[in-house]
Amino acid sequence: MWCDSMGWIEIFLDGISEAFGLILSSDAEILGIAALSLKVSMIATLLGAAFGVPLGFLIASRSFYGRSLTIAVINTFMGIPPVVVGLAVYLLLSSSGPLGFLSILYTPQAMILAQTLLTFPVVCGLTVSSILALDQRLKETLQSLSAPKLWEAFILLRESRIGLITAVIAAFGAAISEVGAIMMVGGNILGYTRALTTAIMLYTNTGEFALAIALGIILLLLSFGVNLALTILQMRYRKKR
Amino acid sequence: MDHAKLALLASATIVAVLLGVAFLGPSGERVIVATTTSTADSGLMDYLKPYFEAECGTSLSWISLGSGQAVAVASRGDADVLLIHDREREEQFVSSGNGTLRVTVFYNDFIIVGPIGDPANASSRDAKVSMGSIANAGRSGAALFVSRGDNSGTHALEKRLWAALGIGELENLGWYKSAGSGMSATLRLASELGAYTLADRATFCRLKGSMGEALRLEVVCEGDPSLLNPYSVVLLNSSRYPKIRYEQAIDFLLFITSPEGQGLVGNFTVSGERVFFPIYGKTESIGLPPEDEAVAIIEALRTRGHVV
Repeated sequence: MWCDSMGWIEIFLDGISEAFGLILSSDAEILGIAALSLKVSMIATLLGAAFGVPLGFLIASRSFYGRSLTIAVINTFMGIPPVVVGLAVYLLLSSSGPLGFLSILYTPQAMILAQTLLTFPVVCGLTVSSILALDQRLKETLQSLSAPKLWEAFILLRESRIGLITAVIAAFGAAISEVGAIMMVGGNILGYTRALTTAIMLYTNTGEFALAIALGIILLLLSFGVNLALTILQMRYRKKR
Repeated sequence: MDHAKLALLASATIVAVLLGVAFLGPSGERVIVATTTSTADSGLMDYLKPYFEAECGTSLSWISLGSGQAVAVASRGDADVLLIHDREREEQFVSSGNGTLRVTVFYNDFIIVGPIGDPANASSRDAKVSMGSIANAGRSGAALFVSRGDNSGTHALEKRLWAALGIGELENLGWYKSAGSGMSATLRLASELGAYTLADRATFCRLKGSMGEALRLEVVCEGDPSLLNPYSVVLLNSSRYPKIRYEQAIDFLLFITSPEGQGLVGNFTVSGERVFFPIYGKTESIGLPPEDEAVAIIEALRTRGHVV
């Protein structure tokens, strides 16, 4: 038992020292894997926001039949298991599937598409709730001014920007940390679609635990960097308010 | 008003640029091999990659799946060529018209591994005797067996061995655990549970090399002819799957059957041990039927003037 726990600590310490070794030596393979993870998840987050924010705004600012149901569906999709999205996108992009003509299965593009489907409901759902949380008087005032619709949208979105940044943070977190979807549609191909999470799975399987932990630490550091930037932005907005 | 338009324009531009970056990037020439977890996990594919790319100028990509899933992916036209080890499925794939050519390219062997000390006394030269001892010990609660449970080639062989012993309905047996995982994950699970399992030698050696003493498993049965593990390349039917990269798939086949490719496979070592043995054109020497017809076709393709 004592031996076992020593092994555990050693593996972790090995992993930490290997992580910094890898970062400092700027190993080309590892840098490529980290860059791909970052690229795929950032693009997927931005695309998810590009579609999720406008749709979330529309849902929150209009009243229509079945609105509560729509919001409930979006909120459900916020928790959809990545493997389910992976399976759906695989079948969609498969050569014998409806989007087979694109020939993007097992490419980074397919990974971006799958992760966008994950980030979109997160951004959309959180946009809905932050718009709904705005002071009703603000909306009434804007309406009474009979301001142009676009202007009204701009004001309302600007007022809910802190919530929108939270939405982006949550979406990015969902994207960078998932493994099921990108494994299925990316294929974990060395030097092409191997991302941090899929590489961690692989190295864990092959018993290279220190390397797996090192990649986990790199993943955390990257995620921290992005979140730090977004949080600073969020805090700055709060001061201005 | 101007603000709003500007913001809208800016975000539209960002989205357009991102979509461009994401979907219009050049993907380059490549070949996708659907292969087993053993050739990928052992590191063989990593080892072959630079040689193949230097020779053919095509990027070598592979997806590692159990042989069953690899065949399923290929049946949908999502891979360009197969490198697997499940003879029955390979032949079925070709006879159904999904594949056109199957040829054995190298082999190694399966081994039965179990907990250090062999509590089930499963040590034997005969795989059937060994598996029988595990089943007996299992029934008396002294042993566990972990199965891949993923329709892989290894899983197929394991089921054949149990069937030969007349043991069926395995999922209902208390001592039989179905892992539903790749070879490395199954070996680690067996090690944790103190269980027996059937493994290919290449993956076992690789895992032993990376985990050392932490992999608490030892070989209890090896060398039985029924544990022979031949790997084949299967070409897909390009008229049924017009979108596959057929020429590149042929390049891969010609590369791995070339003297250079065969030599590389034979020279590949894991922790100093050779784990795959080239056998192209010499299948009789390990007791498999000769494949003269396939070899003749491949050699004709080679003289036709492919890169390799």
